[in-house]
Amino acid sequence: MSGLAQDSVLRLAPGCRLSAAGGPEDLLLIPEGALRLKGPARTIVELCDGKRTLPKIVEELKRRYPTEDAFRIETEAVALLSRLRDRGVLEHV
Amino acid sequence: MKYTPRALIAEVTHRCPLHCVYCSNPLEMQRRSDELSTGDWATIFEQASGMGVVQLHLTGGEPLSRTDLTELVRAGREAHLYLNLITSGVGLDEPRLDALIDAGLDHIQLSFQDAEEAPANEFAGTRSHAFKLRVAGMIRQRRIAFTINIVIHRRNIRRLEEMIAFAEQSGAQRLEIAHVQYYGWALRNRDALLPTREQLDRSVEIVDAARERLQGRLRIDFVLPDYYAKFPKPCMNGWGHQQMLIDPAGRVLPCHAASVIPGLEFSSARERPLRWIWEESPAFNRFRDESWMPEPCRSCDRRTRDFGGCRCQAFLLAGDAATTDPVCTLAPMHTIVEETLQRVNGGGDRSWVYRIDPR
Ligand SMILES: C[S@@+](CC[C@H](N)C(=O)[O-])C[C@H]1O[C@@H](n2cnc3c(N)ncnc32)[C@H](O)[C@@H]1O
Ligand code: SF4
Ligand code: SF4
Repeated sequence: MSGLAQDSVLRLAPGCRLSAAGGPEDLLLIPEGALRLKGPARTIVELCDGKRTLPKIVEELKRRYPTEDAFRIETEAVALLSRLRDRGVLEHV
Repeated sequence: MKYTPRALIAEVTHRCPLHCVYCSNPLEMQRRSDELSTGDWATIFEQASGMGVVQLHLTGGEPLSRTDLTELVRAGREAHLYLNLITSGVGLDEPRLDALIDAGLDHIQLSFQDAEEAPANEFAGTRSHAFKLRVAGMIRQRRIAFTINIVIHRRNIRRLEEMIAFAEQSGAQRLEIAHVQYYGWALRNRDALLPTREQLDRSVEIVDAARERLQGRLRIDFVLPDYYAKFPKPCMNGWGHQQMLIDPAGRVLPCHAASVIPGLEFSSARERPLRWIWEESPAFNRFRDESWMPEPCRSCDRRTRDFGGCRCQAFLLAGDAATTDPVCTLAPMHTIVEETLQRVNGGGDRSWVYRIDPR
């Protein structure tokens, strides 16, 4: 499968949710088990609230991580989101 | 402690209205009067969560046979666990399903015996197929993750394509196709259930083609019969490595079949803290590392990947839990498996015995 369209609006699919905030580790809980979320991955998934479009998510990430390379933020976020979409963890609204 | 438990399999009852000929549940089952209470389970879920468990699988027997299932789901969610219900569907109606979802159920795995009604009912030993279809309809109307599970064997494998087509239009996101694993009642019916080599090869082709065709629409998990494999499965991903199972009476086991192994004493969660059982109990440490391994495992490169196979299967087939799993082609006892395969690849279909329900 390929990348994501610019106007994509994503949210967690049924049966997929984040582990409790402030828990011992950040996990994405799914029917098959749990995916470990590293670095900003939790924030990226949290921004998929079923309302924001892809550019809005990237914009928000750039605002939250002002010292990071903007291009890198964008490519990494899009890569993570399309991977999760392909696995059925995120769905298009 | 090097090992953190990640999943708890809670067999909340052994009672079940079905009598599946392939059921892997133990021959000796716990009675209703010995079952843990709602409160016992809630305490267990708390302890498990504190040890690092993130997933709770409610199974049995038929979990819906417990009238407090909704409370069990709620207790699991309160302990921050991910809630998976593994069920035949028998005992579910719309209000109960809504209550389970309200209580925090994350995922339902609904099992079917076949895509066709008459054989499905025959394998289940009960007229349950039509009801299960209605349950699938109820689930698809709600926002909850949905997996269909179908156990395949010699007598239904020829309808594998129909089963996949059924799952495709059922509303499920995921299909688990499992070849029978030979434990419990299934082992008793093994010669009637084991597919021929030809049937097995065909099933692999069908699943490969279906995965390709259904990409992005239906995820397919496929469990192969290890009798035909070259090397054993990494059973439970290692004895006492990631998962634990608690039986209806509270006995804590590394897997659902381990109670068959003689000489191991499995502690009860009623009597001991779960952490002690996991970390300290002799039974959980018996096969945890490599110190138990005989040759050929001891000097085999695959031992860190498959852990020498399944201890329960080694006992069930070779009479010794501390020997190489006989399904391994390198195992000294592999001839037992070869003979079985020769037998089932020779003659015609054999008859089976139905499982009975505990009181
Ligand atoms: C033992 S059942 C208990 C839950 C419920 N009664 C049901 O059948 O869905 C748990 C799961 O194991 C599957 N199963 C049962 N016996 C099996 C076997 N011998 N090999 C592989 N899967 C099996 C069932 O289809 C079900 O998905
Ligand atoms: S596999 Fe069949 S007999 Fe066994 S517990 Fe599930 S429904 Fe009951
Ligand atoms: S000899 Fe032991 S470790 Fe090697 S493949 Fe066979 S079971 Fe696995």
